[in-house]
Amino acid sequence: MSTQSSRFEFDPGFEDDRLRVAWYAVVGVLVAVGAYATYLRITGGMATTNLTSIVPWGAWVAFYIYFVGLSAGAFLVSTMANVFEVEGMHRIDRDALFAAIISMAVALLFVWIDLGRMDRMYFPFIWRQLTSALSWEVHAYVAYIGILVTELYFSMRIDLARIAERTSGLRQTFYTALALGRLDTSEGSRSFDQRWLKRAGIVGIPLAIFMVHGGTGVLFAVSKARPYWNSGLFPVIFVISALLSGTALVMVVYVLRTRLFDGDSVDPDLLDRLAQLLIGFIIVDAALTAIETFIAIASVHPHEIETWQVIMYGPMSWSFWWFMVGFSWVFPMVLLTKKAWRRTPSVMVLAGLSVVIGIIAVRFNIVVPAQIMPVMEGLPHGAYFPTLVEWGTSIGMIGVGLLLYTLGAETLPLTPLTGGDH
Amino acid sequence: MSTTDDDTLPGIPNVGKADLDAMVENERPDPREELADVEADTDLGVAMAEDAQRVARGELTGDQYWEKYDEAAADEFGEAYQETPNPAVDAGDQTVSTGTAESLSCAVGSMDTVAAESAQVEGEEPDGGIGAGDEKWGMVIDLQKCVGCDSCTVACKSENRTPPGVSYNVVMEEEHGEFPNVTRTNVPRPCMQCDNPPCVQVCPVSATYKMDDGVVNIDYDRCIGCRYCIIACPYGARYFDFGENYDDEVDEAGELTSPEYGVDRGPREEGKSPIGNVRKCSFCTHRLERGEEPACVETCVGDARNMGDLENPDSDVAQMADSSRAFQLKEDEGTDPNVYYLK
Repeated sequence: MSTQSSRFEFDPGFEDDRLRVAWYAVVGVLVAVGAYATYLRITGGMATTNLTSIVPWGAWVAFYIYFVGLSAGAFLVSTMANVFEVEGMHRIDRDALFAAIISMAVALLFVWIDLGRMDRMYFPFIWRQLTSALSWEVHAYVAYIGILVTELYFSMRIDLARIAERTSGLRQTFYTALALGRLDTSEGSRSFDQRWLKRAGIVGIPLAIFMVHGGTGVLFAVSKARPYWNSGLFPVIFVISALLSGTALVMVVYVLRTRLFDGDSVDPDLLDRLAQLLIGFIIVDAALTAIETFIAIASVHPHEIETWQVIMYGPMSWSFWWFMVGFSWVFPMVLLTKKAWRRTPSVMVLAGLSVVIGIIAVRFNIVVPAQIMPVMEGLPHGAYFPTLVEWGTSIGMIGVGLLLYTLGAETLPLTPLTGGDH
Repeated sequence: MSTTDDDTLPGIPNVGKADLDAMVENERPDPREELADVEADTDLGVAMAEDAQRVARGELTGDQYWEKYDEAAADEFGEAYQETPNPAVDAGDQTVSTGTAESLSCAVGSMDTVAAESAQVEGEEPDGGIGAGDEKWGMVIDLQKCVGCDSCTVACKSENRTPPGVSYNVVMEEEHGEFPNVTRTNVPRPCMQCDNPPCVQVCPVSATYKMDDGVVNIDYDRCIGCRYCIIACPYGARYFDFGENYDDEVDEAGELTSPEYGVDRGPREEGKSPIGNVRKCSFCTHRLERGEEPACVETCVGDARNMGDLENPDSDVAQMADSSRAFQLKEDEGTDPNVYYLK
């Protein structure tokens, strides 16, 4: 099947040119807003934020762990295809990997802009601290990005070779370079790629679960000074909510890219499978959060109880009830209950987007409330809402992610040319 | 201040310039009497002093002065004169010509270079640099003596020149009980300089670390400003420097900075450390190194704060820290602070 290249049609990018212009215009506005806000951030320093010494971590940290979670979740969905060989999932393998790479890049942008000394971003690779979760995390992120790129390469290489075969000039050079010159499209080379794809995935799974996202949870959980974070269940919830948001993202990306780029119809069986996964993750996420809350409240530790009071009844309680409970659990759960809806692309895009947005509030509700209660009686309470600069830079960095994703989706064979399962 | 002004202010004595000059003259010690107390030649001393005044008035040049007295001074003071650099000879601010400078029989080289050389020879620099002392610094704060005046906070701000939003020391006020049985405790809170510091544990670049003398240091040249240590500190003792200044309150507020951890960083400038770094109390390491107490200890009106070597069993702080009144903040955190409080 690999020799009959004429059978493969490769025409990535938007089906509708007007949509392409409109989309790039939107992304362009986001990036421009972000560029201006970043200019203000760099010239004005950290004083342009609403952060204080009482609430030293805010929106940027929340978005950073959000995108790490999206990435880890999307990656784990991809392993269902390339490691566990779940039937019918290969179609979304590359979508998931590519989204994971972009999410990770955006996450690192958020880490970078959050540094008091942005010029010293490379210092963690020069000096280390064995007991610091953050020191380990930085290295885990780099290794993880390496795994993701390796996986995407082995997943996509044969199609890059096929495209290079049929094109000429600059385009051929481009695709040949991406295939690292390996232009063999034989069955032997395909199984070689599959073997290495699986191997990289097997290394990547524990890396993503325990180091990248579990580790990010550990980063918070080790803070004994913040009882709200200081629990063994915390990193586990991190991983589950990552799976939840990652699955939702992959579902949205799959539907939108199939419809708008490939001009194909969505496979209702695959959609249903993703939707059922989503149901499972919502239940586990909500249940574990409930357990965590119960343990916290049953401890009658004043710090724990007051923090939960801030979350549920404080000035920002709308983000808990509307976004965290509503958008990431209740609303998508309603949409997912009916089998016909689970097979309807537009409804599932709505459910997926709802989760993807709701989890943002989950991340904010992890980062901020633990800093509202003072660490000692007699010290002032914290208060925090991001400034326009913080929102602007965040929008800009998300815009950069959307731009990179779109450029990739317009040039790379993210949909297998053979159309699905290998 | 015009001397011809007749309408004097009430309570201000009406004294003219002549009166003031007379007062100064009256207070001035007699040169011969003063010099009689030292072994050196009185006549030479008086002559040199009078000619030095002429140099100051411009009646005599520095070259003439030193040519006149170099030999006499060498005879009088011998080796001590030859080994001491001449203040008129200095690379940056020399007041005599090169020819004269080279002809002098006293030590060549500027004050600075000679001072640096002698320091090296004598080994005045401690072996391990800052914080390598033999003491283990500890602070004991007697809560019965603390009146909650916040002088320590003010002294700290002025000593360490901390910007707005950064206060290495605060006084926490706690009220207990219900009316009419209410008690109030003032708890000053510097950095606890913990023996097991959570801040050190979490720093991804090891920019904050414990020194041999027990003080937790922050290397402003390495700190990336991630603020993880602020999150980890159970005492809220760490602050982020957002780069703000007291420019509205004081002109050129950022011109003077404190040589924290023994490093003089010059005036505060945008984008230059410690702006964008995390900061905290250092037990006034720069003062400890000079043999002085931290500013908060020195200033405390009730003598509530004590500083000393916890490892010396005879020291006041070691004895106080051992007393049954002593306790540490958040003892169950396992941080083992080196700041003790007396109930």
